[in-house]
Amino acid sequence: MNTLLLRKSKDKLKAFTKHPYFGYIVFGLILLAAQLLTMSGMIQKSTMDSIILTLIYAVIALGFSLLLGYGGLASLGTAGFVGLGTYFTGYFAGTLDLPFGLTILISLIGAVLIGTIVGFISLRIEGMYLAIITLGLSEILVEVFKSFEAFTNGVDGLSFRTFDLFGRLMSDEAVYIIIIIVFVIVMLATINIIKSPTGRALLAMKNSTSAAQSMGISLLKYRLLAFIISTVYAVLAGMLYMINSKFSIPTTWNLALSLNILAAVIVGGSQSILGITLGAFMIFGLSPAILSNIQFFIDHPAAISIFNGLLIILVVMFYPGGLIRLLQTFVAFVKKKYVEFKQKWKEYRYGKDE
Amino acid sequence: MTLNLLILLGSLILIYFLVDLIFLRKSEHRIKQRARLSNILLIIGVLGGLFITINEMTLHLFLQILFLNSVELCVLILATTGIVLIFKTSITTNFAQGSLATVGAYFAAKMIIRWTESTELEMVQIIALAILAGVVLSFIIGLFIDTVIIRNAKRVTSVGKQMITMGLVLMLIGGIPLIFGTLPLPFNALSYEVTTIPFGDKFLVMPNHNLISIIITVVVLTILFVALRVTKWGLGVRATASNEIVASMMGVNTKVITALSWAIAGGLGALAACLYAPSSAQVTVSFMTPVQVNSFLASVLGGFFTFGGPIVGAALINIFTSIASFFNSVWANVIVYTLILLLVLVKPLGLFGKKTAKKV
Repeated sequence: MNTLLLRKSKDKLKAFTKHPYFGYIVFGLILLAAQLLTMSGMIQKSTMDSIILTLIYAVIALGFSLLLGYGGLASLGTAGFVGLGTYFTGYFAGTLDLPFGLTILISLIGAVLIGTIVGFISLRIEGMYLAIITLGLSEILVEVFKSFEAFTNGVDGLSFRTFDLFGRLMSDEAVYIIIIIVFVIVMLATINIIKSPTGRALLAMKNSTSAAQSMGISLLKYRLLAFIISTVYAVLAGMLYMINSKFSIPTTWNLALSLNILAAVIVGGSQSILGITLGAFMIFGLSPAILSNIQFFIDHPAAISIFNGLLIILVVMFYPGGLIRLLQTFVAFVKKKYVEFKQKWKEYRYGKDE
Repeated sequence: MTLNLLILLGSLILIYFLVDLIFLRKSEHRIKQRARLSNILLIIGVLGGLFITINEMTLHLFLQILFLNSVELCVLILATTGIVLIFKTSITTNFAQGSLATVGAYFAAKMIIRWTESTELEMVQIIALAILAGVVLSFIIGLFIDTVIIRNAKRVTSVGKQMITMGLVLMLIGGIPLIFGTLPLPFNALSYEVTTIPFGDKFLVMPNHNLISIIITVVVLTILFVALRVTKWGLGVRATASNEIVASMMGVNTKVITALSWAIAGGLGALAACLYAPSSAQVTVSFMTPVQVNSFLASVLGGFFTFGGPIVGAALINIFTSIASFFNSVWANVIVYTLILLLVLVKPLGLFGKKTAKKV
């Protein structure tokens, strides 16, 4: 009776751990725990800062991976859309002093509009041409950020104050927790999109547009959808960026950022959520969190950039599946060795099977 | 003027739909004829728009502005040619073009400083020699990049190759402060004098630096285009561009062709950077970024299919920018980029793109 109960509860636990959300929620809980440790002073604040920054960029990268990894659409306009998110927050919640919920609504509507425009463009232009045209679009946005002073405060940059959500003033710690929660929600949303008919349709479109169309997948609908989701993620990340760093300047949202996002997706592995998070950490978090504590890199700050460049080149050349593939291969190797070792141990303990 | 331009645009769109509906409706080759119609209307539109603006700002002013901006035009054309050359042989957009050029310009600036201290040559000679040195350095780095990295990444997809060039950007940008120091270096123009050209009862002013830049650009591009037409390397480039595998099967040494293309693209970029540097009087790490963005847009506007198309694209972008910044300097770039976006939407394969049948 007792063993039966134990087995039942074990099965229940197994069903719980096998749930697709389990890993991501645990990941989120670990991050929350890290934040609590930081508040109590166990972890350095600068480390947590860079982790939070990584999470914001990971949100952008997740949106971008839906385009590149699943839709096969290369876009270099990401940075402009993120910038738009920061300015939406800074202008509506900061300058105009609207309630934050309304700001979120306006930003999302703006994101959907921009995503629709880019989606329509993507119907006419494909491949590398699309990448460069979206780059042009991003440049237009950056020029608007520079020139439209009433909205963005021009080249001096727009600063943002603390804001209140649900009638409460948000402190820095609360902002960190918000970012972690939003990140977990975004991960769960992404896995839902990927595993749904939409995700499969996007994947079909990536492999062959003609085949996808002949199977009844509407190119118009899914391209628009992919761009809208990606833009919404980018604008959301922009809002997170604004409430976190409280300052936005047009020169941040340049080509280099779009390229870095692309790099994070490629380096991590364009089709795996954890891979993309890892990639975002490699590109954005590694230098502030780890490298800047090593004496050699403090003496030669330029070497960080060289290191990142070398990393990207090596990963692209030798591990086209991204770092997550490397990790998976390694885990599989360890598992295989473990099974072999177990076998050997049994042989040693009980003698060989006759 | 804005009203006139809008009327022009509206009437062209109206003509397009009217002709399409009335004359081409029952035609057998409707799609082909529609493309031809849009080409004609596009040419009319661009020429008409230019005519209206020139009418507004007088021909003298227009030419004067073009003359003053001619060095940017030369720079843009050289950089664009480099990007197209690499696209043709390696099928990737080279994001490192600007940084490669910047390294060349830094080296040239360093050489200028060193040679002014140690030698008795005149300033012009020193600068000319330094530019040559910068071009040679970028040529060598380009060669090195292809032989060491791009050649070994044959199986990487074109987006992957883009990523590799992006990694190169980071490495070059990181390398510059290590080698040349963190401060921007001064860079003098080839000449600070101006030539005046009589034009009717007025005079046009042309800085000598721009004049020399134009001459250098024309000579270099002529040599390049003749080489592409006549030499074995040019034939190889065209063969590789049309199909790399078939070209190598036919006995073209695609490795050498690609390596040389990267080297030449590097050299062209460095030349562009050295000509562009005097307009801000100094070399900084990111001073080529706007040029690079513009040259990407120029390549897309002209279409990657021909070598001439991107040059026309570059010229159009330069003329648009000059005119737009005359009328409204704050919003000039927004206007120009939007215009390019609209042009590319009308002709997705570029102004001179050929439609290729997609194989399934």
